[in-house]
Amino acid sequence: MNNKDIHDLISAKVANRDAARPEITQRIHKTNKLTARERIDAVLDPDSAVEYGAIAAQEKQGDWIAEAGGVDFVGTVDTHPVIVSSTDYSDHGGGYGAGRLGRLFALAYERRWPLVLFVDGGGSRARHPRAGLGHVELSGPIGRFSFLDGIPELSGWVPSIAIVSGPSFAGHASIAGFSDFLVSTPGSSIGMGGPPMVEAALGQRLSANELAGSEMHETSGGIDLLVEDELAAIAAAKRYLSFYHEPKIEPLDPAPGSNLDELAIADQYDMHHVIAALADRDSTFELRPQFAQNLITALVRIDGRSVGVIANQPLVADGTINHAAATKISRFVEICNTYDYPMLSLIDSPGCTAEWQNKKTSDTTEAGLTRWHARPIMAHQQRTVPLLSVQIRRSRGLASALMNGVSTTRGVPMLKLAWPDVEIGLRDGFSAALDHNAFDDVITPSETRAKLVRMLRLLQVPEPRVNPHEKKHWIDSW
Amino acid sequence: MDADLRKQIADARRAGLDVERPNDLAAIHKLGRLSPRERIDLLVDANSFIEYGALAGATTRPEDQVWADALVGGVGLVSGLAVVVASYDVTVADGTQSDRNQRKMAKLMYLAVEHRWPFLCFADGTGARDDDPFPAPPIAVTPRGRFDLLDGLAELNGWAPTVCVVSGDCSEAHAAIAMLSDFVVATEDGQFASHGGPWRSAQDFAKSGDVDLLVGNEEQAIDAARSYLIFYLNDESCDAEAAPDAAAIADFIPENRRRPYDMRKVVTALADRDSVLEIGAQWGRSMLTAIARIEGRTVGIYANQPKSPLAGAIDAAAADKAARFIELCDAYEYPIVSLIDNPGYMVGPKAEREGIARHHARPLSALHHRTVPLYSVQIRKAYGLGPYAMSGWGSARRMPELRLAWPSVESGGMSLEGAAYLVKRKEILAAPDKETALAIRDAYAEKMRDATSGLRAGRSYQFDDVIEPAETRARIAAMLQRTPRQLDRGHLGDGSAKKHPIDPR
Repeated sequence: MNNKDIHDLISAKVANRDAARPEITQRIHKTNKLTARERIDAVLDPDSAVEYGAIAAQEKQGDWIAEAGGVDFVGTVDTHPVIVSSTDYSDHGGGYGAGRLGRLFALAYERRWPLVLFVDGGGSRARHPRAGLGHVELSGPIGRFSFLDGIPELSGWVPSIAIVSGPSFAGHASIAGFSDFLVSTPGSSIGMGGPPMVEAALGQRLSANELAGSEMHETSGGIDLLVEDELAAIAAAKRYLSFYHEPKIEPLDPAPGSNLDELAIADQYDMHHVIAALADRDSTFELRPQFAQNLITALVRIDGRSVGVIANQPLVADGTINHAAATKISRFVEICNTYDYPMLSLIDSPGCTAEWQNKKTSDTTEAGLTRWHARPIMAHQQRTVPLLSVQIRRSRGLASALMNGVSTTRGVPMLKLAWPDVEIGLRDGFSAALDHNAFDDVITPSETRAKLVRMLRLLQVPEPRVNPHEKKHWIDSW
Repeated sequence: MDADLRKQIADARRAGLDVERPNDLAAIHKLGRLSPRERIDLLVDANSFIEYGALAGATTRPEDQVWADALVGGVGLVSGLAVVVASYDVTVADGTQSDRNQRKMAKLMYLAVEHRWPFLCFADGTGARDDDPFPAPPIAVTPRGRFDLLDGLAELNGWAPTVCVVSGDCSEAHAAIAMLSDFVVATEDGQFASHGGPWRSAQDFAKSGDVDLLVGNEEQAIDAARSYLIFYLNDESCDAEAAPDAAAIADFIPENRRRPYDMRKVVTALADRDSVLEIGAQWGRSMLTAIARIEGRTVGIYANQPKSPLAGAIDAAAADKAARFIELCDAYEYPIVSLIDNPGYMVGPKAEREGIARHHARPLSALHHRTVPLYSVQIRKAYGLGPYAMSGWGSARRMPELRLAWPSVESGGMSLEGAAYLVKRKEILAAPDKETALAIRDAYAEKMRDATSGLRAGRSYQFDDVIEPAETRARIAAMLQRTPRQLDRGHLGDGSAKKHPIDPR
């Protein structure tokens, strides 16, 4: 073999390392962020990383090369294969590594390997020689995946996690918007059009964060979780994946403290305490915690099993189900159904509220029903994972339909429990159970966990589906 | 056979008819509305209605006068094909829902789900009957059939069309019927309430996208509902005729590329004469959605509307509207035609607050998972991510079956004016006045346009062809002929034949 070739190869690879770019590395560290390669190191198990396209990110004589702008890896997280890719904001503004992403998406599709994507960047490269010519439109590989249609294809097939720790606009924000778990950090931003575009189109001069800050998205539902920094984001991503990778682990007793029988007689209670008393100790992982706080969605462990919980929160807006809460339910039901998590619904709601926009006065929220409330009902109708339901107190109007589905056959709750002082319309729990089979059993609150555990033990952990044709459905991005 | 018993049945049947209840009929006419049987007569083909449970009452007493237990329902034919129809009767027990009339509904639902028959309900009424011995669902779920009313609607969603006509008051459990239906027609005096909340007009519901079509009276509502059903039932009409202005379709596009125009006129000129049924005209107005026919074939057309407050830019509502419509077309096997003229997804702080970064993905996912053919026609602008919403995200797994452009086409990573602004920003900001600034920008934009427009778009193979606008109809019609509709009428079983639900929003 030609020694020069080997030498060239080694030096090309070395040139890509952070150590070979001390200025850039320092600049990134100054902003309290990790370099692209440090992010990957923090995600993957030691010595598990296999890099794709390591030397593709080179620019020769000013030619544009599709692969520049990021790093792509396959490796393991807690021993399970995962695909990780990070844009490199210091390299071409993190412009797409489009060619390689398509490659990775094909692997994800074939192997059902989850995706963890760091997507800060400003969309397609502005100085792309074909920019302005609809360049992406027909530029993908014909017949397989372009990286673009890979995203919707993978939705609902592999867990897709996006981490945004910086400005993410246009195409990058699009990838973030498609992902089923989107984590971000304070000061970051996610938007369809960045500050220059907004200035050009609307004449407004705004900073990235003013325009589309992650803090705003945290309450409006645009992201699933806001955490303090990149390392916390990576930890959250791993936690999200753990529910998927390990559907059953060693069970733990719930944290001591919450006595449900006492809680049940209190005038007011925090639904988080009910969840904590039913779930394994420290297992609750709440998603979208600052958005539609009247409705809690959380992944938890019960008897070591991954379980998706939807619960009304009577402390916020009296537990009513507004438009935001309704979409929060439907999207979460789709996630649980896709990844085969059994579900638990905890119901205490006086019903649905509709929101009306008004140009002249401020917007109105009032009791009512719109098509937003039909979304969870449709999501439950196609749900095939089992759902266990506990009626805690109130269920008026269509509340229980949104929490459990309306079905008398498909998707019917596998077990419908009620606590003794439930209120459904004008009936109490006893007469409802006696007269109309509304509940399978009325139980004391402190019995609840034991009942759920027994039921879950009857439900086998399903074999993972491996053929892409077994995808159930995509996950709605909203 | 006992003649008395026979007479008793005949009398009871007759007693429930309009002709024997002149006071009820006068009362409903006074409200400007029709009786349930008049509605059904208008909707279905003559003498085709088979009524279910005409003799049902609130009690089992022979002298019971709660006619048909306040719900007239059965199976009729619309243009020769079966449709399940039900109408509450507000002159009987206020048109309330009872356990017994829910049992009638459950039977009708069974028929609709089992045979993939469309279901249409006139849903004026005010919820559950207070003095009913059993409360209506969802308070207590006692199975009445394989499917109850609401889960029947959820099951039918995406399987067979569900149509709800609302005239007058529609509240509580009746409002739930409307919100679970995929096509809601309401009269302007219709109103909704639920969960004890205040009344809201059908106009408000149309503006929010919760009512699909607003009409003046019940006759018009029935007419529209009939059209909607016939698009599904009979996807090949034989009396197809081009619209009067089909040949002059290019004239709707102004010479000045910055001037707006009404996309409705383009749609009308492209489709068969008088065949266009616009859906959701009053919300997400930068996106136009319509079911129509081309050479007799049912198609779904969705198009950007340059003549809208956002000039065709796709905001969260427009994205939602497009996604829902694509799902509807895919579910009922209507090939899709998209007409493209948009400056991209909406940007700016308001759009971001509305979650456009999330909503933008919805039409892309719906397009990606479609199996019906898509024919896209780029009329003028397509910038940024905008064209993807109209023709699909990627290029590989799911391409439009035919991608056409008119000579007026222009494309780019962002609007040409925007791109020109960024390139010439320094000069523009230094300009002495606004006119000069705009002139600098527009001159450069014009230069950029030359590089992407007309023949160059064809040379770069961004499109399968660049054509004369008047040819569009024939091109699409020819493709439609080669792709017959494949509506699986097999059993729903356990979700096997249904592709997916139609997302209500």
